[in-house]
Amino acid sequence: MNDQNQPHKPLSCEEFHAQLPDLVGSGQDLSNHPHLASCPSCRSLVRDLEYIAAQAHLLLQPQEDDPAIEPSPAVWSGIASRLKEEKDYDK
Amino acid sequence: MSEQMIPAGSLPLDPEALLLQQAQAGDSHAFEGLYRIHKRRVYSLCLRMLGSVPEAEDLTQEAFLLLHRKIKSFRGDSAFTTWLHRLTVNVVLMHLRRKGLSLVPLSDASETPTGESIQRELGNRDPILSGSVDRITLERAIQSLPPGYRFVFLLHDVEGYEHNEIAKMLECSVGNSKSQLHKARLKLREILRKRPHGGQTKNEVDQ
Repeated sequence: MNDQNQPHKPLSCEEFHAQLPDLVGSGQDLSNHPHLASCPSCRSLVRDLEYIAAQAHLLLQPQEDDPAIEPSPAVWSGIASRLKEEKDYDK
Repeated sequence: MSEQMIPAGSLPLDPEALLLQQAQAGDSHAFEGLYRIHKRRVYSLCLRMLGSVPEAEDLTQEAFLLLHRKIKSFRGDSAFTTWLHRLTVNVVLMHLRRKGLSLVPLSDASETPTGESIQRELGNRDPILSGSVDRITLERAIQSLPPGYRFVFLLHDVEGYEHNEIAKMLECSVGNSKSQLHKARLKLREILRKRPHGGQTKNEVDQ
């Protein structure tokens, strides 16, 4: 259904929430969405969700100096041992 | 085969490309060099998806063993890091399927927010998450998500995959991937607002 030329009907919060997965999933800029212009609560919600996504991308990249993401030496030992067993290693 | 050790990070020109070429030719030291360059990224992906250090280490090992078997088939159509990442995700997902874990619920209508719950949520807030979430807090919150939510969130918001890629990996619809991501973010918001210093009012923060 094409509703591009239809005047916007005010959405209830419930209707807006129902549309949010698609709106967010399609990467649309929601800052000018008509519902948000008139609803501070949903504006706060969208701002928080965007913040969580942005922080996840920003904060959770591997840090070179973080010992918590260093696999133990046993991991490479296990790999080297398995490769040796497979007899296609270091020939 | 060359027995000369090539220390990662000390070559003047594109050391990773050289290591890759040498590893594809069967140089074991070069393969170890690739391991040293990529081990953190592979391990952190495994750890976040699995939430267990022993499992993450096992799957890191499996991912590099698979890499060793497949490395000659890498043709450079994508960046090596992207290719290795995808390989790692597949290793983890295969592992989870073998364990019988449902990666994405086919139907989760019972978890869809109702009008009543939305109104309750909307009527109870002055949220100021912005600026208040650090990495450790976020990591913990993500680990407390149900697995289906966690995988989609990690793949989309952390690893940067598109919904159509996630849908293929998790064998679900694009709509399901979008829905799971949205619910994951909603759940994270709820968790982060419930923590001791989360979701304060501005006056509380200023004190």
